Amino acid sequence: MTGPQGQPPNPQPPNGTPQPPNGDVQPPQGDPQPPNGNAHVPHSGPQHPHNGPQPPHSAPQHPHSGPQPPHSGPQHPHSGPQGALPPRGPQGPYGTQGVPQQGQFAPPDGRPRPTFIPAYGAQPQMPYGPPRPGFGAPPMYPGAMYPPQRPPYGPPHVYPGRPPFPMPPYGYAPPPPPPPVRFSVGTHRLHWATAPLRAFVIMVIYFVLLGFPLLMTRTRSGAGLELSPEVLLRFLILSIVAGVAAVAAGLWGWLALRFWVEGDDLVVQNGLLRRRVRRIPLSRIQAIDVVRPLVTRVFSLAEVRVELAGGEHSEIAFRYLGRRAAQDLRAELLALAAGLPGHTPEAPERPVYRVPFGTLLAGLMLRLPVIGTFLLFIFSLVFLIAFQEAAMFAVALPALLGLIRAVIAPMVMYANFTVAVSPDGIRLRYGLLETRMQTVPPGRVQAVGVVEPSIWRGLGWARLDVTVAGYAGERQALSSTLLPAAPRAVAVQLVSLVFPGTSVDAVPLLPASARGMTVDRADGAGTDNVIFVARHGWLCRRTDVIAHARAQSVRLTVNPVQRLLKLATVHVDAPPGLVQVAAADRELGEARAIVESTAQRARSARATSGDTTHWATRRTPAS
Amino acid sequence: MYPVAEQQEGAGGYPAADAFEPGGGLGWSRISPRYPWHRRIVALLRAVAAGAVGAFLLWRGGGTVAAVVWVAAVLTVLVASWVVVEFAYHAHGYAEREDDLIVTSGVFSRRLVVVPYGRMQFVDVSAGLLDRWMGIATVRLHTAAAATDAEIPGLPAAEAALLRDRLARKGEERSMGL
Repeated sequence: MTGPQGQPPNPQPPNGTPQPPNGDVQPPQGDPQPPNGNAHVPHSGPQHPHNGPQPPHSAPQHPHSGPQPPHSGPQHPHSGPQGALPPRGPQGPYGTQGVPQQGQFAPPDGRPRPTFIPAYGAQPQMPYGPPRPGFGAPPMYPGAMYPPQRPPYGPPHVYPGRPPFPMPPYGYAPPPPPPPVRFSVGTHRLHWATAPLRAFVIMVIYFVLLGFPLLMTRTRSGAGLELSPEVLLRFLILSIVAGVAAVAAGLWGWLALRFWVEGDDLVVQNGLLRRRVRRIPLSRIQAIDVVRPLVTRVFSLAEVRVELAGGEHSEIAFRYLGRRAAQDLRAELLALAAGLPGHTPEAPERPVYRVPFGTLLAGLMLRLPVIGTFLLFIFSLVFLIAFQEAAMFAVALPALLGLIRAVIAPMVMYANFTVAVSPDGIRLRYGLLETRMQTVPPGRVQAVGVVEPSIWRGLGWARLDVTVAGYAGERQALSSTLLPAAPRAVAVQLVSLVFPGTSVDAVPLLPASARGMTVDRADGAGTDNVIFVARHGWLCRRTDVIAHARAQSVRLTVNPVQRLLKLATVHVDAPPGLVQVAAADRELGEARAIVESTAQRARSARATSGDTTHWATRRTPAS
Repeated sequence: MYPVAEQQEGAGGYPAADAFEPGGGLGWSRISPRYPWHRRIVALLRAVAAGAVGAFLLWRGGGTVAAVVWVAAVLTVLVASWVVVEFAYHAHGYAEREDDLIVTSGVFSRRLVVVPYGRMQFVDVSAGLLDRWMGIATVRLHTAAAATDAEIPGLPAAEAALLRDRLARKGEERSMGL
């Protein structure tokens, strides 16, 4: 266990730097700042720009020392518009590699920090590379799941130099696990059990729509169940016909769908008589989900969904594969998309966080709308009982439904939520009845929002919303949570893993103009070389983050009210999703300057890390 | 002031008055002067239809005064849009910069979109019946973000085709996935 999983969930005392509700500027240096200045930082050299209280600042190249530092000498880059420009270039405050350095984003309290988890996409540890030729069929690397292949028949193989007794006598050895299916070689079909499963579903539909009414006979008192021989015969004949048709349909569907990997494409062919072939470039894969609905869990089946950026019907769903085959297919597609050979074993992962059930439940309940609805429900119940007022049902029932929707449904959906990182992406596993395993490859997360409802802020909790380009329509609502409830430090660390090389809390936010017609005093925005951050929300605070490399366009809008006040809003556009980043109510000239600088940062970020295909074999430009 | 602003050369000197200028010494490329007339013809056709149908229904309903008021209201809206269209024409503009296209529009709510060439997914040119008769077309840029919505209406048709080809070429040179 390398991650913080084994550790207590780090309930983070009300946050070293409670971001002041009036949108104040974070202190640029000094130890209370959460993501740095920790006693456990191993390297405290002068090259690190955020180390503890600094002497009156003698590093003029520090580009992030905040807007109004107490030491605003004329040589300081941020002393005003007339200040000297900082040298632009790779020497950002977070290291040159775009990868957080060890110990940099430590929790704000002085606890021992969990072992550092490297950003996914960057893999200094090297078990995940081109496979070495092993002696068994599957390639071997330390920690591989596959044991060496033994001959299935004959006397047990005795390895030279090893005592034979660990081997049970012949006939008693557990069967070796079947070799994994190589999806990159040959043509494949779905699991054979999908044929009977589909036939069964068709039979159920038949029975409900046709079979059951056939069993009913009209009697004097209406329809009744009267099993006379002729009724039974009629039913049996029709049922047999329907059964044959259902089995044929199931077989047909199973035979019709075939898929294989051809070069850099995944090819899916559907249909026996009329063939429909879809060719999907693997580099377009945005995310891969392995979903196991409750029914298929019984049969150890799983569905694999490949998400592509391209709208409502652009995903490919393989319903259903065997459980292990689904894992293998997922691993192979990700390996191929990463530019590795398809038979590369599944990338190892490091757990980051597991949401305890109590945290999830408490987090879902401790929200103002939920508490309000709950009170409304209780009051309406009291009224209902005390005054025998049946009309109060009209209040109680919607309130109850709302509670189910807001608390019970997410609780069932996000139970056992675990986050892990691996070189082929962020892996999420969750679900009580229907389990999901989501994998988002590196660079596919478009934008992230740290959401802190009012009560959660007191507890130091946060939720992480995410925009991934693949999920459209209904699936977007289902798959846009990166963390349902967790200590804020964990959320911030996860953002640093998603957008390597920076931290949300390290970005100095500047409050919006005081002239804005809003009660939202949390409005603020800031940027560094990697991300653009916009914060807003008075009660429920949102901190929306987008990487410059992912920005699609930058917009400046002025509505009529803002026009009177000479204000503007800057939008940094992401693909459609839950998180959209906008810095509201900036001064007009400042807003335009933000637009220009954001466009320029996006340009340079794209030049270095814009291309996200073949992430494993691509040479990072910084290295 | 703003750290974003200062790391950009010359950005600190962005006066509020120039917030909707293309910058970099460029000027806005304007759209065709036929565009306001296109809008006016559309407005006139709509006003005639709405005024006639509404007035007829009201008159049938027995309210002669109401019909007159309705016609007056439609006329007012028509006159207002006649004037506003002129402002809208002057508000539209686009400029092709080195790495991005910048488009501005809007009279009451102003907007300015910066679209990097590398982010364009496709560019389309559309022209309706009236547009074709007047020899103008609309160029629309699509990125992966639906909110981008960069649209240049009322370009002369030939210029629209040229602009589309230029944008497509630049987009291809700098293209990258999502």
